[in-house]
Amino acid sequence: MVKIILKEITKKFGDFTALDNINLEIDDREFMALLGPSGSGKSTLLYTIAGIYKPTSGRIYFDDRDVTEIPPKDRNVGLVFQNWALYPHMKVFDNIAFPLELRKVPKQEIEKKVREVAKMLHIENLLDRYPWQLSGGQQQRVAIARALVKEPDVLLLDEPLSNLDALLRIEVRAELKRLQKELGITAVYVTHDQAEALAMADRIAVIREGKILQVGTPDDVYYKPKYKFVGGFLGNPPMNFVEAEVENGYLRVYESRIPVPAQYKGLIEKLDIKEVLLGFRPHDAEVVKGISEGLVGEVYSFEPLGREQIVTVSVNSGAFVKVFAPEGEHFTFGEKVTVKIREDRIVLFDKKTEKALEFLGE
Amino acid sequence: MKDVETRPSRYEWVIILAILLASLPLILGFSLLVLSSFSKEMVTNLDLSSFRFTLENWINVFQGKLATTGGIRTNILKVTFNTLIVALGVAGVVTFISALAGYSLSRIDFRGRKHMMVLLLILHAFPGVALIVGVYLLYRLTFPQSPDIIRLYSFFYVILARAALEIPMSVWLMKGFFDTIPWEFEWSGIIDGASRIKVWWKIMLPLIKPGILAVALFAFLAGWQDIIYVRTFLIDQTLATFIEANIEAEYSHMPLIAAAGTLYLLPTIIFFLTAQQILLQGYSGGIKG
Repeated sequence: MVKIILKEITKKFGDFTALDNINLEIDDREFMALLGPSGSGKSTLLYTIAGIYKPTSGRIYFDDRDVTEIPPKDRNVGLVFQNWALYPHMKVFDNIAFPLELRKVPKQEIEKKVREVAKMLHIENLLDRYPWQLSGGQQQRVAIARALVKEPDVLLLDEPLSNLDALLRIEVRAELKRLQKELGITAVYVTHDQAEALAMADRIAVIREGKILQVGTPDDVYYKPKYKFVGGFLGNPPMNFVEAEVENGYLRVYESRIPVPAQYKGLIEKLDIKEVLLGFRPHDAEVVKGISEGLVGEVYSFEPLGREQIVTVSVNSGAFVKVFAPEGEHFTFGEKVTVKIREDRIVLFDKKTEKALEFLGE
Repeated sequence: MKDVETRPSRYEWVIILAILLASLPLILGFSLLVLSSFSKEMVTNLDLSSFRFTLENWINVFQGKLATTGGIRTNILKVTFNTLIVALGVAGVVTFISALAGYSLSRIDFRGRKHMMVLLLILHAFPGVALIVGVYLLYRLTFPQSPDIIRLYSFFYVILARAALEIPMSVWLMKGFFDTIPWEFEWSGIIDGASRIKVWWKIMLPLIKPGILAVALFAFLAGWQDIIYVRTFLIDQTLATFIEANIEAEYSHMPLIAAAGTLYLLPTIIFFLTAQQILLQGYSGGIKG
């Protein structure tokens, strides 16, 4: 139950900079997701919080306590690894009891606490089995139980769901979110799966190449991406981007023209910018048959998904956008259509820096 | 028709034949030795007509007789026991040291680590015989004055000297086994509050049990089979030196020596037949789901 403050954390492995001047505050009882592609440094950041890696420079605070120099065991953190790292030669009970045994907790109390945490995670009946006798989902619960049994201040999770199959993952993520809130524990969750981050986290920190690109609530990072990368990384399918030129109050996209969205009118004038990237989410537009006001193109492909379908529209050779359309609608390949975008959901990025216009001044 | 993965290669029989041919001299040699130990006369030149079954040789061996006639006796059980002490001693020292050294070479980035590993390889390349003069010098220099402990000392010395020959390779083997264990196991232990030494003992060692067993087995056999170091340093006899000492003696009865030789070979044969199974037993099941 602590607030974690990371101040100017830099971590280098030889010449390689894994973390580059990271500043982040994680509130008490908050569920923070570190989201990024593999190799982005998100796991390194987690291990730095745990104390396995020592930052090359910068400080880490748990509340007011500077823990930068404190070894992992004195930080009181629980860590769930991607491969769970259950000790194969120990039964489930001994696996969970291990942290307590190391703390020299009396035997009776160990017994009591292990049973308590096992009950909470619904694994009471597995205590005298070996890890290899369990299914993936059960092993994962044991790993979480082992991390929780010592009542840590911080729970750190390193892609704990990535070894589970898709259906189980969705089931466990709801459960994990509830567990975190019930225990009121500060949690940091590393994942490369944007759906997981959106579904579970209170806030998301998007990381790329050792830098935090954006920190915010799921809504924030989803609808107001600070960088093209963030918009393109979150959502399935991700945000659409097309190049546009500013032309007296209009955005020209290849053959089409759409008016500059109201929220950007002042900004564009102020910045005097000519070339932008126009971004919008697939569900913030609709496909209308025939040519009218909007992005004109032709149907390249369509994929019915049951409740809805994804229509891929080619707005120019090589430039595609994906838009959700209602189920019953019929399309044919090559059909002329117009994509009408919800104006208030349009995000404009600077073409050179790929940063959203409203953040350009930062 | 079998599945693709399990279908034997078309040339499988060629390979089996080649392996059989290559091991034929060994198989023949061993068979003749074992046969002779149960025979009144040596079975040689593949001439089975000289084979006449008897258990006499084995009875004599365990009674400590060196010849069918005459009264020279050696306590063969004691010789076997000596061999066991040397073999177990070497196995113990080698396993303990290489388990510690292998761990640190695999997991701790200390100064000179790479050089040490290269040095170990070079050391391994030295044959034991080449070193024996120097090792003998050290033996004489540290030789105790008191006659009460010289036999004990010679055991102690031969175990250490023989173990030293095995250690370079064993450390490399052990390092290889430690390398296969994901860092997460160790990190997990450290976060839970274990010291490095506790992680080594409680988590790492159980995970590489098959590796430890392999190293210990090889060291045991090295100690069991050794003749040069044992003969140079050990005051008592082991099976190897016992056979060697009697093989040319005029009074020796060859089939009896064959029985002693079979006894000497027994652990090697048993270990190699059973160890494959043990070595393959991994804990891989628990590492990933």
